[in-house]
Amino acid sequence: MHAGVLAVGSVMALATMAWPTMASASEAESIKALERKLERSLQMIEALEAKVRRLEQASGGAAGDVVKDGAKAIETPTAHRPSPLQKIEVLEQQVGDLTHAMSRHHSGGAPLHGFADVALGRSAENNVVQGLRGFNVGGLDLYLTPQIGDRVKTLMELLFEVEADGSLFTDLERIQIGYAFSDAATGWLGRFHTPYGYWNTAYHHGAQIQTTISRPRFLEFEDRGGILPAHITGLWLNGVFPLELGRLGYDAYAGNSPMLKTTEAGKTLPTSLALRNPTRYSPSANAKGYAGSATLDMQMAGATRHEPSSGFNLWFEPSAWSGWRFGVHGLRATVGDDSPDANRTRLGMIGAYARFIDDNWEALGEYYRFRNRDLSGGTGSHRSAAGYWQLGYNFGRLTPYLRAERTELAQKDNYFAVLEGGRSYRRQVIGIRFDLDPKAALKFEMAKNRKLDLGATDDSFGEAHLQYSIRF
Amino acid sequence: MRHETLLIPLSLALFSVGVATAAAEVVVIAHNNTTLAAHEVREVFLGEKQFAGAVRLMPVDNSPAQPEFLAKVLKLEVDRYSTAWTKKSFREGLNPPPLKSGDAEVLDYVRRTPGAVGYVSKAPTGVQIVQKY
Repeated sequence: MHAGVLAVGSVMALATMAWPTMASASEAESIKALERKLERSLQMIEALEAKVRRLEQASGGAAGDVVKDGAKAIETPTAHRPSPLQKIEVLEQQVGDLTHAMSRHHSGGAPLHGFADVALGRSAENNVVQGLRGFNVGGLDLYLTPQIGDRVKTLMELLFEVEADGSLFTDLERIQIGYAFSDAATGWLGRFHTPYGYWNTAYHHGAQIQTTISRPRFLEFEDRGGILPAHITGLWLNGVFPLELGRLGYDAYAGNSPMLKTTEAGKTLPTSLALRNPTRYSPSANAKGYAGSATLDMQMAGATRHEPSSGFNLWFEPSAWSGWRFGVHGLRATVGDDSPDANRTRLGMIGAYARFIDDNWEALGEYYRFRNRDLSGGTGSHRSAAGYWQLGYNFGRLTPYLRAERTELAQKDNYFAVLEGGRSYRRQVIGIRFDLDPKAALKFEMAKNRKLDLGATDDSFGEAHLQYSIRF
Repeated sequence: MRHETLLIPLSLALFSVGVATAAAEVVVIAHNNTTLAAHEVREVFLGEKQFAGAVRLMPVDNSPAQPEFLAKVLKLEVDRYSTAWTKKSFREGLNPPPLKSGDAEVLDYVRRTPGAVGYVSKAPTGVQIVQKY
């Protein structure tokens, strides 16, 4: 009898004791541990059943029993004793409650994910920009996606990367807090990847999920010669409508306009381009010699003189054409610079894109058209364009790919004239990706570049890069 | 004595469902308050559909049954499913469905959680059967 009491008490105690143990371990490990405990409990219950049977046979079935109350086992009158079936149900209920409490919404933790890449490269660029050669550290990108409740969403991303001058740069890439009203509407507030086109939000710093090593040059990040604000601080509403013909998605956003900063602490910018090609540049940029000396600053902290920006992205995935997405997008911003002329430009961009992805093929194409208006110098409006297409084919772990890029950027447009990466160019890229593991990729890529708008120094050069990237 | 006779089969019924099985059948289940059509299951498990009316959907994966489910329902391998969720998470801040240890845990979660959607290897009671594959 005492053995039976001890056995039941032990079973209950095991289930109760499981709580602190599991709370301190990861969920998956805790669940496995719980299963092991349950198996042991089952064995003990079976042993108990055998003992009860023997005791009942010995005493004519008049044995007392125990009932579980918390972690303690107490004696109860025979008239109120629970049956073994009830005990099992109590145990099952407790374990269920325990598991449920641990797993509901998985909202207590903050899942940490990330990307990292290292590389070896050689660039033969030799103009106002000098190409880099040798081994290099790409970046370490960490992001967290804590789910707070059913509808509150968060996304935080922190990037560590090495600059061209070798210094370590830390960037709060994204910090966005959202609320999901429905599938058709999630509102976000904070700093996020500007949802223009396809590439910028699809890959960004996710080197391992990006098929290629390089981004299209004109879609580079702001501090690497990009011509558009890859990030924005503001409001973002997005959603998807399921339709009979397919899925219709949208992004609508508004935030701070970027500013062109011609100086940046600790960074040496290229010497004046206008001096080398004076006839093609904006008269003001040419006269003061600051062409090609600025990068986009995202005004993440706000600005003493706030200028708004806004944009949209509308896409459709037809049911009949699985894997395809077609989209149109636009961006409008008022961009000033800190040059002696304090130029202001109304940036107007509109574009379209198409994407096809299935088990083997990956095809991307984007087109951006600019119509920028000079708000401060009276030079009128200037038209520019940029685009790329990329094609890849997956043979199991191997994915060879091709990409062609082209831009025609008006150099009399203050916006492009002042931007460090505002020169027109042509580029052809060929490469191959080998997936060593679903979470690790080795890529080799070669590119042929031709930079325009550099006057007599128009430059053609080659590049080759090897990259090893992972996700975790 | 009658109860004791039931003990072993009952215990087995309660706990053996958590043991990995190579079941051929996959049964998609949902909490009783959740309205979900069979053709929406793929979207739910790929994070494309997060709501059923006003109810936030809470999909859960079932570790032993996952390969069968992915092959039959999503037409994906485990690696591609994982990659799809990495992209979804990076782009939209969503988390993949939590991985449960087996039918018992999935069933318990779905029974108790409004909006929960899961899959098990045998048709259970007390939940809504969305589709059998």
